[in-house]
Amino acid sequence: MSITTMTAKERILKLFAGEEVDRPPCFSGMGNVTTEGLKSLGYKFAASHLDAKMMAGAASTTYKLFGFECGVIPFDLCVEAEALGCDINVYAHSEDLLYPTIKTKLIHKEDEMEISIPSGFQDRGRIPLVCEAIGLMKKDIGGDVPIGTYVLGPFTLAGQIMELNDLLKLSFKKPEKVGKLLDLLADAIVTVAGQFEKAGADYITVREMGATSDVLSPRVFKNLIQPYIKKIVDKLTVPSVLHICGKTNDIVPFMIETGAKAISVDQKNDVAESRKKLGKDALIFGNYDPYNVLVAGTPEMVKETIKKCMDDGVSAVWPGCDIWPTVPAENIRTMMDEVKKYRR
Amino acid sequence: MAADEKKKELLERLRNAVIQYDEDAAKEASQEVLDVGMNANDAIFNGLVSGMEEVGRLFEAQEYFVPELLMCADALYAGLDILKPHVEQLDLGVKGSVVIGTVEGDVHDIGKNIVKMMFDVAGFNVYDLGRDVPLDKFVEEQVRTDSDLVCLSAMMTTTMTGMKKVIDNLRTKNPNVKIMIGGAPVSADIAEKWGADGYAKDANNALKDAINMISSLKKLKEEAEAKKRG
Repeated sequence: MSITTMTAKERILKLFAGEEVDRPPCFSGMGNVTTEGLKSLGYKFAASHLDAKMMAGAASTTYKLFGFECGVIPFDLCVEAEALGCDINVYAHSEDLLYPTIKTKLIHKEDEMEISIPSGFQDRGRIPLVCEAIGLMKKDIGGDVPIGTYVLGPFTLAGQIMELNDLLKLSFKKPEKVGKLLDLLADAIVTVAGQFEKAGADYITVREMGATSDVLSPRVFKNLIQPYIKKIVDKLTVPSVLHICGKTNDIVPFMIETGAKAISVDQKNDVAESRKKLGKDALIFGNYDPYNVLVAGTPEMVKETIKKCMDDGVSAVWPGCDIWPTVPAENIRTMMDEVKKYRR
Repeated sequence: MAADEKKKELLERLRNAVIQYDEDAAKEASQEVLDVGMNANDAIFNGLVSGMEEVGRLFEAQEYFVPELLMCADALYAGLDILKPHVEQLDLGVKGSVVIGTVEGDVHDIGKNIVKMMFDVAGFNVYDLGRDVPLDKFVEEQVRTDSDLVCLSAMMTTTMTGMKKVIDNLRTKNPNVKIMIGGAPVSADIAEKWGADGYAKDANNALKDAINMISSLKKLKEEAEAKKRG
């Protein structure tokens, strides 16, 4: 088969396999459902988190309407915490676009940190729902585009089930105690990821945004958090992407060391410098600003930004975070066109 | 002379307690401030806040990160709790009343709490709405308290758009209210586009802005005092 007739799925799987591709793909491992997509199906955002058919249907519209080269679910970040026992708020009353959040914490003080994974964990909360949605989407668009999903990193998950304030201070004062919790959460995350793999996910993004250098020193990242991310990545059987937003230039080598197939960074990363540091074969995904450029920017600004990402050396054009749903159709089409016509 | 030296020593101890995030040391030094009859205002601004300014510098130099910042804040509060009841009424020439909170959909409140701390230090009346605050609540609370400053925080791209709504509603109800927005995804562009009066893009900036604000308030106060003396 000639290299120019690659489907999005072939292109992305080849990229993960370290093979040559015709151009960088334009996809994401994080949420990218759009208001346009929801509207085309008559779905409400708040309802899409609780129904597998709606979730799969809404997620697939970003490919169907705009040619975005993947299908990714879920849309929120609460699946693991919910399965561990936290209550979530989907803001069902709200007409605004609000992402679900954690209502109740599991750990309220330091001496409650020795938790265990609930029995039957893999069937708790919305884990089965997300699995079902992955299966539905795979049947629908899985021949054309890869199906992606994500799990949280252990530190970010810890920040959801206990007060972030306490977690941050304890990671300084009592790192061994925090390490123990992260180890347990890594096991839980491996279980969730395993279910998603069985359901048909083609790649999994590990989102560890709580460990950004805007918050934690590279030293704490390396000593306290990286070992547990590595533990997760080691167990994954499909290609993995490690995502950390914010300042990351000092930790990109540690991110690669986890063994993740690719790393994902946002607009705060100087990708040209990261590329120099990591070499030509490292898979670096990024790094446009999904709100200020893709949603609020002009098509001209989108063009320039996307071109710069590729000039700087990203392996895939990929957003720095979830794409905010109100993204204008023109901007997303401009982005796709810019990537498709790009030649290195 | 001996009193001056004791005062200098105590200020240094307060400052270091904050920098070295030592809550016990902050409590001890604050108690001594009261015992020797030193001015509590002086101890707060030239001891605790001076320490926090150094913490801000260390944060900017990336020697300190958020965990250190939080521990330093704990030390500052440990001292402040003891000293504050003894602060004379601040006559700053401005009305110090602020409504602060993290917008609905967002449960992150560390940046908000750091900004709040600086307002506490400055002697403002702080109406802290907490986190995940329904948007209408900001407007209601501003009207209820007639505060002249409203601070909105959002940590995530996925929640910051709520701030625009609050700004629009606040402006309709009260065109003169000052609005400051903050949080990782916020930019100067967004602040301008949405009509906010100021913005702080991260904890460090929030801290710096708040410290700048307090410095100018201190200056106002000094000028007011000089006028009184003159």
